[in-house]
Amino acid sequence: MQYDVETGGRVRHVAVTRTGDGFAVSVDGRLHQVDLARVDAHTLSLIVDSRPGPFGPGSVYEATTAPETDGRLVVTIGTVPVTLRLNGRRGGRRQGGAAPGSGPLRITAPMPGKVVRVLVKAGDAVLARQPVVVVEAMKMENEVRADRDGTVAEIHTRDGMSVEAGALLMIIQ
Amino acid sequence: MKKILIANRGEIAVRIGRACREMGISPVAVYSECDRTALHVRLADEAYAIGGSAPRDSYLRIDRILEAAKKSGADAVHPGYGFLAEQASFARAVEDAGLTFIGPTPDAIAVMGNKTAARAAAVRARVPVVPGTPDPVPPAIADSQLQEIARSIGYPVLVKAVAGGGGKGMRTVLHPEDLVGAVRAARSEADAAFGDAAVYLERRLTRPRHIEVQLLGDQFGTVLPFVERECSIQRRHQKVVEETPSAAVTPALRQSLAAAAATVARAVGYTNAGTVEFLVEPGGEFFFLEMNTRLQVEHPITEMVTGIDLVQWQIRIARGERLDLDPDALLTPRGHAIECRIYAEDPDNHFLPSPGRILVLRAPAGPGIRDDSGVTAGFDVPIFYDPMLSKLVAWAEDRPRAIARARRALGEYVVGGIKTTLPFFAWLLDQPEFAAGRFHTTYLDELLASPDRKPFAQPGPGIEDAAVMAAALQAMMAPDVPPLFGAASGRWKDRARLEGVEGLAARAVRR
Repeated sequence: MQYDVETGGRVRHVAVTRTGDGFAVSVDGRLHQVDLARVDAHTLSLIVDSRPGPFGPGSVYEATTAPETDGRLVVTIGTVPVTLRLNGRRGGRRQGGAAPGSGPLRITAPMPGKVVRVLVKAGDAVLARQPVVVVEAMKMENEVRADRDGTVAEIHTRDGMSVEAGALLMIIQ
Repeated sequence: MKKILIANRGEIAVRIGRACREMGISPVAVYSECDRTALHVRLADEAYAIGGSAPRDSYLRIDRILEAAKKSGADAVHPGYGFLAEQASFARAVEDAGLTFIGPTPDAIAVMGNKTAARAAAVRARVPVVPGTPDPVPPAIADSQLQEIARSIGYPVLVKAVAGGGGKGMRTVLHPEDLVGAVRAARSEADAAFGDAAVYLERRLTRPRHIEVQLLGDQFGTVLPFVERECSIQRRHQKVVEETPSAAVTPALRQSLAAAAATVARAVGYTNAGTVEFLVEPGGEFFFLEMNTRLQVEHPITEMVTGIDLVQWQIRIARGERLDLDPDALLTPRGHAIECRIYAEDPDNHFLPSPGRILVLRAPAGPGIRDDSGVTAGFDVPIFYDPMLSKLVAWAEDRPRAIARARRALGEYVVGGIKTTLPFFAWLLDQPEFAAGRFHTTYLDELLASPDRKPFAQPGPGIEDAAVMAAALQAMMAPDVPPLFGAASGRWKDRARLEGVEGLAARAVRR
């Protein structure tokens, strides 16, 4: 799932992929592995890069998200409130485009990396949230999943191929 | 005393209710329309609806409060602070209804509530007062006569409402040509705020510190002063941070201030809890400013360094007990305590009030921390009242450690859904002048007036990245990550769910 997040006068590109036991989150192409736990309806506990490997310190953040009246969000970490605007997701259910569940769905790479395995082939039926491609980035394997049910129409990648963030991997009809 | 009606709301009503319960007394709450779900109501044994949300329709309605007291069968009324606490007519009405007023006598309130009368009492007790007019300025005074009075006092001059408080009806005059206009403005402001247009003139001291002395007086003539509180950190004459003891008070000055405060109180036959405020000049010279005839907002810091429960003593004195505390112990602070008044205000937008629903609330805890709060998650902070949410008090062995502990606690304090002054306090406590104890009553206003002020909390790159990730993850995951701490429970959360707090937030997040 991809998002544009506006904060501090600039737009940050965020891509989120579920991994086996957490999330791979890239921010402007910089990949982090996030161990996520929900504290309450508005609060997430994030441990960023906690697993052994070439990642930074296992920083702990407790982030409380609350909506502003103008549609922006305030994410508070400690005493620091960060005001931001979350824009439409890309590479998934597009807002203002085709209604969910119809039209072609573009599956794109959430971060730069190497395609380890393509898990489906053209003509396969896939279910929502089914893993379709595994992309390795920074020594981590990340499953890219289908956002909805459909049939694989086109495959634009192959095992071992290097991809940039946002590169088209396949189209699901 | 079996039952006490608490004629107030918010954190102070909660505080008084706790003291009642600890003494085996049943707390009775009153509430306005918008306060049905307020904490002070939920913690009470009985509660009575007394009218609309505007204070004049409920918390200022003496008739309805007394009606509630009668219906509940309460023996006594505690006024808290604000609202009716310093209205002699309320204290009198309570007594006339055959109930005990937990506070000073109506006469003491009347004398000390009038600033010129209070100054006169201080003068009679040979306690120095700030140079100024002994009586209110006559309404029909000629401009030339007014100028003459101001010149004899010396500029800069303060125009102050006789009935004033909290900076209302107060004007600073730096130049003679502004005097007449300032008097007119102060009069109309005082008339609107207190129904009393009388004003007087006083010299404005240069960079004084605000130091006050808490005291208790029993019905047998014993008046005991406590170690001083310093309240120099003010924004527009409103106290923001209080601490005790003061970094500027020597043991000798402490004794002098305490003696002066007790003398003034004895001079008016003062009983129950009260506070004498002084302005202290850099050389240690001090002047009587005014006396507050009620429990102060900042009373917890005194409790933290003396171990005395002031609210319980208010009740004990009111029911006729003798004040048998060791006077020396009250003037010997154990450690240091600091209070931050946490407000529902946006510090980055001129401290504008930020009412609304509290979605998340997690108060700090751990060694030396006391959080006197009046709110919970799910509560809508109303627009009708003072927007103070809570008083965060940190106690430690000494001042640097108390500051470090307060700073630590601020970092743990989470309030989601509304803006609060938490980031401002984190910034303030990091200021070198604050750490050094070098400040005075206009220090904060001067600091905030700096034209290149940045937001109080500046996210570093790590925090900003984490916030960006959290926003995306919250949007994506909100519905299907199981809660870490199990299912929500308790009627409060149930109510929140009924009203769709979670659904509301989730919708907004997905927008």
